[in-house]
Amino acid sequence: MTTQRPAAAIPANNTAMNDIRTSIATHLASKNVPPTPAWLASFLPSIRTSTPLQALQKTALFRILATDITTTLATIPATSLPANIANAAVKELRLPGPIVVQVLDIEDIGHSRWSQFEALEAQKRGETRRGHEVIRVIPEEGNVPAPVNASAGPHKLLLQDGKGTKVYGFEMRDVGAVNVGMGIGAKMVLRGVTVARGVVMLEPGGVEVLGGKVEAWDKKWREERKEVLKQQAGVGLDG
Amino acid sequence: MVTKVLCVAEKPSIARAVAGHLAGENVQGRNIQGNNYTKNFEFDFNFPTWGPCSVVMTSVAGHLTSQDFAPEYKKWQGCDPAALFEAPIVNFVDEDRKPIAANIERQARYCQILYIWTDCDREGEHIGTEIRKTASDINPRLRQPGKTVRARFSNIERAHILDAARHPIPLDEAQADAVSARMELDLRIGSSYTRSLTLNVGNIIKQRMQSDDKQILSYGSCQFPTLGFVVERYFRVRNFVPETFWGIKVTHKKDDIDVSFRWARGHLFDRMVAVILFERCLTANTACVTKMQTKLTSKWKPLPLTTVELQKCGSRFLRMDSQRVMQLAEQFYQKGWISYPRTETDQFDRAIDLRALITKQTQGQTPWTAFADGLLNGEFSNPRQGRNNDKAHPPIHPVNFVSPETLTAEEQRVHEFIVRRFLACCAKDAQGSKTDVSILYGPETFNTSGLIVLERNYLDIYPYDKWTSSQDLPNYREGDVFEPTEARIEDGQTSPPTYLTEPELIGLMDANGIGTDATMAEHIAKIKERQYVETRARGRAPVQADQDVESDFEDVADRHAPQARGRGRGRGRGGRGGAHRAAPQNQGMQEFIPTTLGVALVEGYDNMGLETSLSKPFLRKEMELKMKAICEGRMTRREVVQESLDQYRDVYIRAQRQLPVLHAAVRKYVFGEAG
Repeated sequence: MTTQRPAAAIPANNTAMNDIRTSIATHLASKNVPPTPAWLASFLPSIRTSTPLQALQKTALFRILATDITTTLATIPATSLPANIANAAVKELRLPGPIVVQVLDIEDIGHSRWSQFEALEAQKRGETRRGHEVIRVIPEEGNVPAPVNASAGPHKLLLQDGKGTKVYGFEMRDVGAVNVGMGIGAKMVLRGVTVARGVVMLEPGGVEVLGGKVEAWDKKWREERKEVLKQQAGVGLDG
Repeated sequence: MVTKVLCVAEKPSIARAVAGHLAGENVQGRNIQGNNYTKNFEFDFNFPTWGPCSVVMTSVAGHLTSQDFAPEYKKWQGCDPAALFEAPIVNFVDEDRKPIAANIERQARYCQILYIWTDCDREGEHIGTEIRKTASDINPRLRQPGKTVRARFSNIERAHILDAARHPIPLDEAQADAVSARMELDLRIGSSYTRSLTLNVGNIIKQRMQSDDKQILSYGSCQFPTLGFVVERYFRVRNFVPETFWGIKVTHKKDDIDVSFRWARGHLFDRMVAVILFERCLTANTACVTKMQTKLTSKWKPLPLTTVELQKCGSRFLRMDSQRVMQLAEQFYQKGWISYPRTETDQFDRAIDLRALITKQTQGQTPWTAFADGLLNGEFSNPRQGRNNDKAHPPIHPVNFVSPETLTAEEQRVHEFIVRRFLACCAKDAQGSKTDVSILYGPETFNTSGLIVLERNYLDIYPYDKWTSSQDLPNYREGDVFEPTEARIEDGQTSPPTYLTEPELIGLMDANGIGTDATMAEHIAKIKERQYVETRARGRAPVQADQDVESDFEDVADRHAPQARGRGRGRGRGGRGGAHRAAPQNQGMQEFIPTTLGVALVEGYDNMGLETSLSKPFLRKEMELKMKAICEGRMTRREVVQESLDQYRDVYIRAQRQLPVLHAAVRKYVFGEAG
């Protein structure tokens, strides 16, 4: 009876594979996204040991950035949000970090929800406005989804760390990569940020956007966006 | 043998004026047979090209020939409207034009040269070809090269006309072709769609309302997008949801002056964040001046006047509707007071003698005499050059002096505007000194500014623009630290856009290539006439507030004004002067509200999910671009007509299949039935 080995099955005592595992874990930790052993174990079977190490590291990073970090990151208190972070009674506190968080939601709070809703409607109809001119946007060949306009902001984000703790963030000064076009589930590293009344003050100096997104979340968020904007506008009067 | 020249102008008044200048004296005209308005003027003139000539100057009354479908297609019930896309079209001379055509034929028989003096725009070029056809059918020699020519002129001032007479040019066939294409397209598309709409939709309305009037639901490829703009704005206003926003206001009393600082963020739509930021400002306690800058600033004088601008300003400042303004402008042109009022050009040619024109305005005792004098004595400054030049006519400007006492109140307002605008163009920009101060209060930046108007310059002659010194600012220096007198959070609510006013609608049509300077006012009048829209006065407070809002709007409009735009040229003249009641002097701005019928039609077509909805400007914009292509020789008339017809026929067929959608919209909006 021969047992069929899955392609690239890893014998537990394979030195080469161990080296790879360690190297990837170290690399990801250096990027502030240290993986859980479980995630590593699920990732390794998919690689070919013949691939250069650097490429493997890149792939690993790319893959982990597409995950829900509450299930895939190894967390320690020093790199997590304090449990009471969202407490509005605390006037100010400082987070040395580095703490990695994922973006669960993002809003442009510099513009009315209704105007954002109208803009999406016009986009859907294939129009954009340049001043007074109504310009028809011809869908490109190959039907690439229309690029979402980068929004002007400032933005308010809902962030979550590897432990699952949630907190709001506000873009105090423009952080380029932060806009409604960024993927839901994108990861950022916070360093030396101030938290005022339970809201993280995001500034270019304290935020490193790693990128990535969780496909399923992002898709759902975009599908529901118009409806959400409409509802938010409707309750706007109640504050 | 003395050469005989037949000159034909577009209107009797132009014929009379030109004849007077060429003859050098007042010439008596002789009535033609069958028409009391058209006259023939006979005189001699020495043309450089042909030597001493015996001249007959006459006129037509706008278009000489008309077009319609062949008789078997004229009855609405007699054919499927779709057939009109291909049905044969015949040219004919209308009954009331027959005497005029007969006169041309009689005069043409014995002349050697045909000299066209129609207005110099595309319509005029086409009318020129109509005249040529009528004349050369009788006298084929006129078809030879150089035997039919045309005069290029922009106003009927004497020197200008004499110069034009001595330098004839050929008729521009390309422009005439463009108009011919436009006429055919408007006829085919307008008729087929109008008949279909009326038969398929108008009839149910008629039945329901049990009225005997034939409810004509007209469709025009310009008219409909114009209605589309009105309906679109209407729904934006109706569907608008107000939202609360929060802002931080900081004031500082210094040197006995109360200074208000505006938050650099403007306002935020999230209360929690606004409050947090506010607290951080308060915690900081003091503010620091980060920038204090004084620099010279100027308010630019206006650009030379175009037709669109005249219509917009007429609506905004003179409170007159654009059609009336253009009628008066046309009269002024015919009387020789202003240059041709249909122009896109907003730059004066280097060669124009502006000083001579200004000198004319120093006569008499008018409110602008002194200012005109001043311009000649050192205050003159070259006009700004806009981006547009239609190469046919200069910007609208006064050509002669007219004493206001001889004018009616309405005429005075429009005439005065044109004169003041022209003088303002030749004046200097207003100069001022602007001080900008920025402060950092906690993590937040706040700004304030002060303006001192140092020299009013053009503002003295152009009261339609406002620029006033603000309150003085106290002396701030960079690095100053102070405790704000007051800081507080304020909330407000977004307010809905307003319904479209006429200048806004004209601006939209202009930016989207709907209609031309010659026709925009007509399309607007048409949708009122068809009861697709109504106007009502905007319920608004004092004029001052209005001015502020409108100047904001103007800034926005100018900032986004597109580059020299390609537009087709005007549709028919002659016979327009029709039933126009004197426009009431409106106190408030008039705004456009669609009727239930207008909404039903636009919604109906929009809901059909056609690739290009008829209520959007795209199809028409493409057509206008193609007109331009014909004029520039890039496309032929046949190509353009074929392409456009294909497009519209396609839409027509799809729309026919979806008539139930249109019916549903009518039931919903006109009859008020639930969805």
